[in-house]
Amino acid sequence: MNDVAITVKNLVFNFGRLRAVDDLSLEISAGTSFGLLGPNGSGKTTLIRLMVGLLKPASGNISCLGKPPTPSNARNVGYMPQLPALYAELTVQQNIDFFARIYGLRDKKKRTQRVDEVIKLVDLYSKRKTQVMKLSGGMKQRVSLGCAIIHQPPLIFLDEPTVGLDPELRARFWDYFESLTRSGSTIIVSSHTMDDAAHCQKLAFLRGGRVIALGSPAELRAATGTAEATMEDAFLYYIKRGEVKENAA
Amino acid sequence: MPRNMLTIANRIINQLIRDRRTIGLLVFVPLVIASLVGVSIPDKALLDYIAPAILATLILFFGFLLTGISFLRERSQGTLERLLAAPVSRLDIVGGYLFGFLLFALLQTMIIFFYMVYLLEVSFRGELWQILVFQVLIGIGAVCLGTFFSVFARNEFQMMQFIPLIIVPQIFLCGLLWPVSQMPDYLQWIAKFLPLTYGVDGIRTLMLQGQNLLDIGREVIILAAYAVGLLILAALTLRRGTSA
Repeated sequence: MNDVAITVKNLVFNFGRLRAVDDLSLEISAGTSFGLLGPNGSGKTTLIRLMVGLLKPASGNISCLGKPPTPSNARNVGYMPQLPALYAELTVQQNIDFFARIYGLRDKKKRTQRVDEVIKLVDLYSKRKTQVMKLSGGMKQRVSLGCAIIHQPPLIFLDEPTVGLDPELRARFWDYFESLTRSGSTIIVSSHTMDDAAHCQKLAFLRGGRVIALGSPAELRAATGTAEATMEDAFLYYIKRGEVKENAA
Repeated sequence: MPRNMLTIANRIINQLIRDRRTIGLLVFVPLVIASLVGVSIPDKALLDYIAPAILATLILFFGFLLTGISFLRERSQGTLERLLAAPVSRLDIVGGYLFGFLLFALLQTMIIFFYMVYLLEVSFRGELWQILVFQVLIGIGAVCLGTFFSVFARNEFQMMQFIPLIIVPQIFLCGLLWPVSQMPDYLQWIAKFLPLTYGVDGIRTLMLQGQNLLDIGREVIILAAYAVGLLILAALTLRRGTSA
């Protein structure tokens, strides 16, 4: 496998007059969990949507596993959007099976086996015949995760996957994400909670559509110069540093 | 047919079948409308004139409404975005919708048709399969029209506003209630651009005069052109309007 899973070069994207992604460059190594961290409106979701090919940049380049993000290259990519994005009338099994077919799992026996495997993985086997509309928010998130990983993609984008989850479920999600990276998958997770940040192997702090800091959680915390610094302290430190630089300029 | 198109059509059919209230309404509402037409028009000749037009109008109306609202839901719930991030072409998505909804539109057509012919005793000289083929043509246009206009609506309320804007003028100008040839010149000119005008003309010829699809070649070609044009337009605009 290529050592670099994603390369983003001088990416620019505008929503009308608003510059949502501002000359952003990034390189994400294969087989790592990479966190995009920032407050609401910092450009996390827009960047993910650009990387999965849902938006076209005004300028700049994106390469995912050595190829541009187009529908024909989407088979190697898993995408879990911010909303659960499921078919409410269909059952858990039908939703996951639908995405299995869409991602090319044609052999019925193998597909049924894989669907069952994923349903067990997200711990919803007893609810497999339940319509999604009758599930709780956390359960819907689990179905949504199941749909994103059904085809065992080497590259997985998870947009705020832990929003609305209780601490126990959040910990289980992270256990699973870590097992995916151990098996060689690259995971890109967006979040605005610092708790998620600590789980990532590498992080990019985003603000105003720009990367204001890049490094491992330990490196980013160490930069504050305080031994007990939390991820939140590190984030605030980089924001302040950015403001000082802007004022000086 | 591409496999993904079939998978999407299959999913839509499954969704509708599981939504029993919607299925009930899909069957019940056209029957209510057909009954009202039958009861409110005691004149047999007038009923024969209006009933085929009702058949064409209902498939346009329900095709537009069902697809428009469904596509809007796909956009607002994020499922369309998820599909667009998958290895699926835009034509697969629109085509999948087309096949999924056409099945229900045809079912509705058959229910109304048999109700009108056997219970309301509307005159019928043509062949059923030819009527179904012609209705499919109107249905394809309706489904693509609904898909296309869903791009411009942000919620169900806005989508409903397109009915008086897109469907109601066609009902008044297509010749359902009054022959187009007896309308003022400028209305006749507008009617020439409306697909329902050709739908009503064609189905009346098939049902009342007992002619075949070749005899209404002009209507078939115009409706096919509308269907292809709207299909392309719907596929091209599919990416627009996904939540930012």
